[in-house]
Amino acid sequence: MLDTWIWWISSPFDYAFMRRALAACLVLSLTAPILGVLLSLRGLSLMSEALSHAMLPGIAMAFMLAGFSLPLMMLGGLAAGLITVGLASIISLYSGLREDAAMASLFLLAMAAGVLLITLSGSALDLGHVLFGSVLAVDTTTLLLVAASCSLVLVILAMAFRALVVECLDPLFLTLQGRHAGWTKALFMGLAVTTLVVSFQTLGALMAAGLMLLPATAARYWSRRLETLLPLACGLAVLSSIVGLLLSYHLDLPAGPAIVLLAGVGYLTSALLGPYGGLLGRHVTRRQRDDTGREQHAI
Amino acid sequence: MATQTARLRLCDLQLAQGSRTVLEHINGEFRDGAITALIGANGTGKSTLIQGIMGMLKPIAGRVECSVPKERRAWLPQQLALDLTFPMSVEELVMTGSWPSHGALKGYCAAHYRKGREIMSRLGISHLAHRPLGELSGGQRQRALIGRTLMQEAELLLLDEPFANVDSETVEVLMTVLRDMARDGATIIVVLHDMEQLSRLASEAIVLAGGHARWAPVESFLQQPIADSPAPFLTHAISGVGSC
Repeated sequence: MLDTWIWWISSPFDYAFMRRALAACLVLSLTAPILGVLLSLRGLSLMSEALSHAMLPGIAMAFMLAGFSLPLMMLGGLAAGLITVGLASIISLYSGLREDAAMASLFLLAMAAGVLLITLSGSALDLGHVLFGSVLAVDTTTLLLVAASCSLVLVILAMAFRALVVECLDPLFLTLQGRHAGWTKALFMGLAVTTLVVSFQTLGALMAAGLMLLPATAARYWSRRLETLLPLACGLAVLSSIVGLLLSYHLDLPAGPAIVLLAGVGYLTSALLGPYGGLLGRHVTRRQRDDTGREQHAI
Repeated sequence: MATQTARLRLCDLQLAQGSRTVLEHINGEFRDGAITALIGANGTGKSTLIQGIMGMLKPIAGRVECSVPKERRAWLPQQLALDLTFPMSVEELVMTGSWPSHGALKGYCAAHYRKGREIMSRLGISHLAHRPLGELSGGQRQRALIGRTLMQEAELLLLDEPFANVDSETVEVLMTVLRDMARDGATIIVVLHDMEQLSRLASEAIVLAGGHARWAPVESFLQQPIADSPAPFLTHAISGVGSC
């Protein structure tokens, strides 16, 4: 029995492409959820989802100009993402439209332009590959690129963490300090876009935010302390990645959706059972309170 | 130690919200170490003036002269931008006050934690140090926020109705702390509606009405029925506002 389990877990990784896929997913799982926690605390979860779609035209244009070069396509995605964020901020600043509304409009525009460009570029660039990712096709160069980008994001996150937390908690406090407010927000969005671009190869443009947001929102049902939320979210992402890849191999499922679905199962389980706001947890607390009330009344 | 110098001056200040001019020709200074009450009926421009002083609203004419460094300015608005669901404890919130002067890269040292604990003890919230922000009452939250300004060593503090929805014990604690801060030289501006609290806390007052402002000693108008209708009083009081 144990042998079967060991075989089930280890046999897929006899293949180099599975080891590369695992390494890419693990690197991503240790980076993206940290940004996801901060994004969800800032109420920007949907914005990051929109951002991941906004990368499409950049990816398509890079492909049209330079062919199938993942580094260049990621660079194109990064540029498109940053331009969209910048434009949304400018529109919001000068027109008074809320930033999320500006972002939603721009991301729809970008998405449509991206799909159009990919279609125009002929059948050489598989739309499915761009939209849903292909983690199993990660080569060594891409893996190094993913690892280097994630390491850079982690180093910057560690250095600017306190500023990012203060900006999430009380933007007015930071704004009053003058020097750091605008830069902190720009840095935060820059890190989010970079991580989404890195996720694009693994999970595709449509699900790039999957490993970023689902573990982060799930973790919030289990803890109210930031220092616990971060490892919890990363842990759930790592677990989803490993089990998702194993299921994908053994059951012949597409890897990206399997990973995101597992993270989604983690989220739903947390929303049901989590002690902080989980449906069942809330029910138990209410029952306990009612019982205590009845006992006090009886006394 | 209270002095007669003033690090905050308003010079012919004119402020607008959108295209509507809210305040004009505001001249005056806030003495260091003074607690100045900002009073006026709703819509007279109290929040606008605070925004102007804090540099969040650009004057359409005139200027705000403030020599207090930005990292020593604090503002507690009535509608907090603070996210109360944020997974942070009271102690961590108080400690964020040391960040502006301490920098973003360095960690807190033992002296910072010691100072944080002293501040929480002074505010009577030591027992809440590890409690999440979302579980605090209005009064406890206000004490924690004042704790952050103490940690920040704020020299200019603007408070918008700090005693609203706060228990009477907290009001006493906060008044004592604010008086101590003023005694140490901080300039404190506080929006107040309650005349009894005003008379106990403030040494000076600015009354806003009809787009104008008038500085006056608290005693000079406490007897007058300005709380309900400040306009008639101001018509008389506003005359003779000197230029900067």
